[in-house]
Amino acid sequence: MTSPATIAAPPTAAVEVTGLSRHFGVVRALQDVTLSVPAGSLTAVMGENGAGKSTLMKILAGLDTPTTGTVRVAGEEVRRFDPATLLSRHRVALVPQELALAQDRTVAENIMLGAEPGSRPFPHRRRMDERAAELLDRLGLRVDPRRTVRHLDAAAQQLVVVARSLAREARVVILDEPTSILSPAESDRLFEVIRSLQADGVTLLYVSHRMPEVFALSQHIHVLRDGRHVADWPTARVSPDEVVSAMVGRELAAEFARHDTVAPAATATPRLRMRAVTGAGFTGVDLDVAPGEVLGVAGLPDSGRVELLRGVFGADPVHGGELRLDGEPFAARTPRDAIRARVAYLPGERRQQGILPTMSVADNVNVLTLGRRQRLGLLRRGALRRDADTRARELTVKTSGTAQGITQLSGGNQQKALLARWLSIEPRLMLLDEPTRGVDVGAKAEIYRLFRRLTSDGVSIVVSSSDLPELLTVSDRIAVMAAGRLVGVLPAEQATEEKVMALATGAHTMKENA
Amino acid sequence: MAQTTTPVAPPVAKPAAAPPARSPLRRFLHAREASTFLALVVLFALGTLIAPGFVGTGNFLTVGQQIAQIGIMAVGVTFVIINAEIDLSVGSIYGLGAVVCGLLMTSDVAWPLAALGGIAAGAAAGLLNGLMTVGFGIPSFIVTLGTLSVYRGVTLLLSGGAPISLSAKDPAVAEFNLLGQGKLFGVVPMQLVLFALVAVVGTIVLSRSRYGFNTYAVGGSAEAARLCGIDTGRVKVAAFTLSGTLAGLAGVLGLSFLSYVQGVTGTGMELTAISAVIIGGAALFGGSGTMLGTVIGVAFIGVLQNILNLRGISSFWQTVATGAVIILAVAADTWLRRRSGRR
Repeated sequence: MTSPATIAAPPTAAVEVTGLSRHFGVVRALQDVTLSVPAGSLTAVMGENGAGKSTLMKILAGLDTPTTGTVRVAGEEVRRFDPATLLSRHRVALVPQELALAQDRTVAENIMLGAEPGSRPFPHRRRMDERAAELLDRLGLRVDPRRTVRHLDAAAQQLVVVARSLAREARVVILDEPTSILSPAESDRLFEVIRSLQADGVTLLYVSHRMPEVFALSQHIHVLRDGRHVADWPTARVSPDEVVSAMVGRELAAEFARHDTVAPAATATPRLRMRAVTGAGFTGVDLDVAPGEVLGVAGLPDSGRVELLRGVFGADPVHGGELRLDGEPFAARTPRDAIRARVAYLPGERRQQGILPTMSVADNVNVLTLGRRQRLGLLRRGALRRDADTRARELTVKTSGTAQGITQLSGGNQQKALLARWLSIEPRLMLLDEPTRGVDVGAKAEIYRLFRRLTSDGVSIVVSSSDLPELLTVSDRIAVMAAGRLVGVLPAEQATEEKVMALATGAHTMKENA
Repeated sequence: MAQTTTPVAPPVAKPAAAPPARSPLRRFLHAREASTFLALVVLFALGTLIAPGFVGTGNFLTVGQQIAQIGIMAVGVTFVIINAEIDLSVGSIYGLGAVVCGLLMTSDVAWPLAALGGIAAGAAAGLLNGLMTVGFGIPSFIVTLGTLSVYRGVTLLLSGGAPISLSAKDPAVAEFNLLGQGKLFGVVPMQLVLFALVAVVGTIVLSRSRYGFNTYAVGGSAEAARLCGIDTGRVKVAAFTLSGTLAGLAGVLGLSFLSYVQGVTGTGMELTAISAVIIGGAALFGGSGTMLGTVIGVAFIGVLQNILNLRGISSFWQTVATGAVIILAVAADTWLRRRSGRR
């Protein structure tokens, strides 16, 4: 650290958190956290999953109540923790990861919700639309305020939520992992919006795992670990490596080095062979995956890469083309067919499609292998518990016991539990959609290490991801999709972010404003 | 806070502390059924204090007799609700099962076949509920709201609007009546025995079978379950069929108990059955709930009505009380879970 004397103390703190703790039973989500956010700054809060970031943000937005400790906004202590108080009285707004919008109401109605012009029961519709249009304009979003929100893409919906906080004249806006649902181009647009908000004097709290954007945007970085505040710096005085080691509490050395297994033999029968495969969202895909290969699939969110994975797995119908698995014809009409053929699929929407939310970690891990643990039509609970314990330990899933509810785990641990689930069928082909989304650095490294172990055993892995640096790190080859078609396959050593993005975006710059 | 910041960066990650071992008592208090069970205990204490003649084997067996039919229906409804569905038609199916059985009895069909006929009518009605819900992909609330009316109409048509009475002078009827009026060892009402049997089998299926596992999986997240290779449609259709079958069985028992059935018999019973399941802790969002909870919920409603009966309070007030208890039960459960941070 260099001398801190050069930094002038800011006149006021927009948000001051003192001795804040939040306990859920024996779980200490936050312990004695003290931090202050200078007015007008962009302050990043970083930490692994389960570090307590989300809990802290929820408290600041009034969605949760601290067990002890105080929060002051612009000097005034928050006495009631509910969203209405925080929003109207303290003017703190949250843009959550999962956007809560009324999908069938118009953009204007969503933006002006709770701040409708005219009388409350009978809002003035035209003035509402005008005001919404003004706010959208300020955010550089060109959509008709009278359209229903359902028709907007994720990026636009996010800006609608930002506009909503502006409509309520928020002084502090909390952005929780805002880029996790955005493509790189959309992220860049969001960053411009963020900078202009800051220029207007709005204080921003920014939660993210992604170093580059945190370093590009923030003035201060705070790190939480295991519910405690462990470090903070002015951004200019710290390096990404220092932040990472504060987050994980250990050095991540060459863990992210390029995956360099033996090059898969070109002569071998491909594990998966696709010829002219067509389904909803993708057309005429020709692609081979070798045994023991990691094939990355890159592309914008609407490129059809997710649909392709789902089609191969039998989650959605495939209309045409030929698929072969180890040379045998393979056409999964349902996920059950795919599972029987030892093909695994990890969905990107972990919360909606991955976890069985009301069940335990053990049940979530065991769901695919119940048939092996039956006697006289009854499940052998003891054997199943031991199976789950073994599998969870293998993937270092952190639990207080596999009988714990899966939703009580952090995102990274949930993901590891889901990987443990799929490893139970000894898969030969794994189709993974955004395997590290919402996963902290530590768990990410473990997942990459797992890839290496699996591929050296001959398992083939197809990874679809919007995180390009990650794809470049873990893949042997990268297939790029655009508008439902395969537009190129690059060997990892030749691939760069620029080349991949050129392929992914080049084909359809024309429909950018569609 | 001072701007001069020094990062605290201990190099060693602190291993997560092992959770304290839970005592059996604590585990019980954390179980979903605990709050309902405690409420039942409180109700028992209250009954002992204020209701003359509440304590006694005779009265308890009477309560057992009274809750048996609702209980059998509630077991089926539990499967449906854990599936994140609802079955509003079980009251009508109850009537259908009773009338079909009664018509077969009066047509001199052997009583076991008549009873099976009533149960089969219930199974068919439940199957149809399931097939329509899954096949049309519309909410079961709508489907069973429709069949609530359709099955009731069919029942009225079958009975021709006239009540069906069975004469106990007929030896076949006398045998049939043992189902609803008989007593095991001359003490325990046969209906209560059947309820116990259904509840035990229901518990084992729900908590120990693969089908039960799939029920929780589908109810918690149908899409996640599908991606795990579970045939979600089949799981749901089976639950509706089970619910219809048990409602049909309850109807047959009702006929056997009263020797009498009308086209309107069973009206409103669906709400009591659903209430019992909800009081027992099952969430309407699906994916959670237990059979033990349902049994406690059924007992709770039965004991509450018994106390009010013994106090000579009108049945109109009993209706009010049952409704109020549903709201209180769910409110208390929500409050407890929010406090302990469970979701």
